[in-house]
Amino acid sequence: MIAVAYALVQEIAKYSIAISLAVPAIALLLIAITKEKFSRIIGMASTGIALAVSLFLLAYLYAGHSSAINASIPFISSLNINFEMGINPISFALFMMSSIVLFATSLAGNVHRIRQKATQFLIVLFQLASAGLFLSLNLFIFFIFWDIGVIAMFFFINSLGSESRKSAAMKFLIYEILASSLLLFGILMIYFYTPVHSFNISTIIANSSLIPAGEQTAIFALLFIAFIINMPVFPFHLWLPDAHTEAPTQGSMLLSGILTKFGGFGVILLFEMLPISKTFGNYIAALAVISAFYSVLAMMKQDDIKRVIAYSTITEMAIVLFGISEFSSFGLYGGVYAMLSHGLLIAMLFLGAGSIEVIFNTRNIHILKGIVKNARLVAYSLLAGVFIMLGLPLSSAFIADLLIFIGAVSAFGIAGIAPLLALLLVGAFLYLIISKSFMSTGKYTRAVGSIRIEQRIAFCILLLFIFIFGAFPFIMLSIFKI
Amino acid sequence: MVINNISISYLILILVATLFAFSISFSLIRNKKAKFLQLVVLLALLALVSGWLFISNADAVLLNLFHIYRFSMLFTCLFSILFILILVLSYDSEADYFYTLLGIIATGAMIVPMAYSLITLFLAIEMASVATSFAIMTKNKIHLEAAMKMFILSAISVSIFSFAMVLVFPYNPQLALAGLASNSAISGNYLIELGIVLFIAALGFEAAAFPFNLWIPDVYQGARANLTAMISGINKKIGFVAMMMVLFLVFAQYTWFFSGIIAMLSIATMFFGNLVAMVQQNVKRMLAYSSISQAGYIMIGIAAASSLGLEASIFQIIAHAFMIIGAFAFVFWLESQYGMNTISDYDGLAQRNMFAGIGLSILMLSMIGIPPLLGFYGKFLLFSSALNARMAVLAFIGIINSFISVYYYGKLMIAMHRKTNKKHIMISRNIAIVTGICIFVIVGIGLYPEFFMHAASIAARALL
Repeated sequence: MIAVAYALVQEIAKYSIAISLAVPAIALLLIAITKEKFSRIIGMASTGIALAVSLFLLAYLYAGHSSAINASIPFISSLNINFEMGINPISFALFMMSSIVLFATSLAGNVHRIRQKATQFLIVLFQLASAGLFLSLNLFIFFIFWDIGVIAMFFFINSLGSESRKSAAMKFLIYEILASSLLLFGILMIYFYTPVHSFNISTIIANSSLIPAGEQTAIFALLFIAFIINMPVFPFHLWLPDAHTEAPTQGSMLLSGILTKFGGFGVILLFEMLPISKTFGNYIAALAVISAFYSVLAMMKQDDIKRVIAYSTITEMAIVLFGISEFSSFGLYGGVYAMLSHGLLIAMLFLGAGSIEVIFNTRNIHILKGIVKNARLVAYSLLAGVFIMLGLPLSSAFIADLLIFIGAVSAFGIAGIAPLLALLLVGAFLYLIISKSFMSTGKYTRAVGSIRIEQRIAFCILLLFIFIFGAFPFIMLSIFKI
Repeated sequence: MVINNISISYLILILVATLFAFSISFSLIRNKKAKFLQLVVLLALLALVSGWLFISNADAVLLNLFHIYRFSMLFTCLFSILFILILVLSYDSEADYFYTLLGIIATGAMIVPMAYSLITLFLAIEMASVATSFAIMTKNKIHLEAAMKMFILSAISVSIFSFAMVLVFPYNPQLALAGLASNSAISGNYLIELGIVLFIAALGFEAAAFPFNLWIPDVYQGARANLTAMISGINKKIGFVAMMMVLFLVFAQYTWFFSGIIAMLSIATMFFGNLVAMVQQNVKRMLAYSSISQAGYIMIGIAAASSLGLEASIFQIIAHAFMIIGAFAFVFWLESQYGMNTISDYDGLAQRNMFAGIGLSILMLSMIGIPPLLGFYGKFLLFSSALNARMAVLAFIGIINSFISVYYYGKLMIAMHRKTNKKHIMISRNIAIVTGICIFVIVGIGLYPEFFMHAASIAARALL
């Protein structure tokens, strides 16, 4: 009996990659051909299966099985391009995060319950892109899924966004296509300048030291700019606040929750691939610190709650970049943990912002007063979110900050904790907003709508996972093997 | 009689001759539907036979005039399919003589890749382009102007082409599409170098390379959109096919000379097309300039002058033909039935007709080069070939241009997805068929590009 169960588990693990790609692909077709009323169910089923698969893998990997789950089929054999996918600890952490966020988005992201078909189609398309991107072991496949994700997000903004979305959609498209153009050129250069022409990441890692230093620097510059446009990091961050202002709630959840992690994941791959990137470590860390402080200062000028949260994303991603640029396992896995934690958190915050818009029909923090009276759950969730962002112990953000700054102190000395101040400023400013406007008891903004049960469930799911990863950090850390 | 590849090759000639004979005899027939059906059946037969010859690796020279090999068969097959699309697109909207002219254009287009001597090539190109300028012409003043421009420019191209042939004649008395005698391959032979430049210029007119592209926007805008689809999808591609044949068959030893020229022309063409397209308000003009920039991309592969480069160019020719015919099919429908011309007319198209909104978006994304659509693989191969030939700067400029193009394609996509309260519109059946086929090819082949890439690389290696 146990042997049968064990064999079954092995089989499921073997096909987990195929499942996580085939399910959204089938769901896309189903959503396209069925009526609008079935779209939400299909979308939730697709993202739900992905969540189940990732929870299964979490248990499977935690139980100490080897993480070497690979799949490879030939794609363009004349150019030696294979469809190579695999699960390693870093990609698994991001895949886990993306499946939770996608399920919550599919469940509750469409707060107005309008245009379900388009919404669910794009969510499932984005699911396909993120699963493919995080699990890819081949730069060509990575690039394909990267662009699918970008285009899905473009249509979130462009066809589901608010009335004045025209310039934000264009800005998003221009920045992101610039990123993907540079990315394409970079990976082509890697392919042609490594002696073995290959897009396979492990082959590149093994051979990249043979690329001449000048070309390596050029490739590094191209890919690094591409990834920090996507992350986004100062000075390429301008598209993010605008995109968030115009994007619908479901788009915002996925944009900050998952799309910005594409860049973070890319930077990790880049640092693994090119040995020359170590020499730029200090400059990158400095850029990250500048970006963190810049975004905090810019954030204080905003009065739209979505823009405030958008700027906090830039701060958080700067901390992630700071962690990765330490070139130590603490910094690296801290960065991954920060992305895991931040993805869940930011999705919850944007769901809160969307809910506030539904309930009070405004997002201006100077108009919103005393929302705790009419939107208790939303207000407390946002409050919890602010504390988590500050690094509340028992939340996943705490573990992430701990890892990053332990690494930072050993890498940069005591100056390494400087970005913590930016994080504190973010938390302080967000707390100011919450206490001044949301929690004030003098005046109340009149509620014009209400959220449904699905939003409540989504808040609970996201908070639950934040605290699971915070209270039981050893689950992930044992998978990371640190 | 033994049925082998040679006899099937003669079948191609018979079919092309029948095509020509039918199109002449069409002037006697009144029934439009009969003409349409006859042309479609003939073209479908041509596509089948040439496809078979492509697969079965035929290689035969017929009558010392036509060369049946994999390169020519790929393009014969492609052009037959594209002509069927154009016929379906123009179904029910053209005058009587249109079918005659289309048959003549098709005959010319089929012969171009099969040509075995410069004279055949020359005659076939002119057959296609002169007939095209007559097809554009109607009593309408705008159409007349476009036809006149096309006619004059093809006349200039004729004269340059014939002068170039004269310069090459001493070294190639048969005017064969084969390598020059080896004693001519000395650097500093200015006659031959001038000949190459003139050939590039003459064929640059057909292929719309900068600076010979000034006729393109006016003609594209002036012609009816179904003919614009044909000019951009087929006539321009004939120019490229001829350019590849002349450069790689006749001047194979002069790669070092023409590669740089083509690279520079390619850079200028890309920048010109993209930068001017950014300011266009008329959709047809915008697509015209965008197709100029796409011509620039195609030339990257010719500049790379390797089998990968030719493969990339051939792939991009196929990809762009389907993309631009699909796009102009939508434009044709919106222009002829609803009088929509400018980008602001396209506001809210996705809401007014979902198929058009999604379909045109896919075509635009493919032209930007978003994976996994057909246009991406074309650009991917082109930039790869440039890097492979150690022309990293050319590849980088190509990528930058591909980025610039996002502005105007994005402008159209954003306009289409705006909210509107204009009423719903219906798509006609023939437009839906043509665009459906184009989108199916773009998405379907995009998901598994190996098939087209393999075909393109076989054809490229046959030419080299």
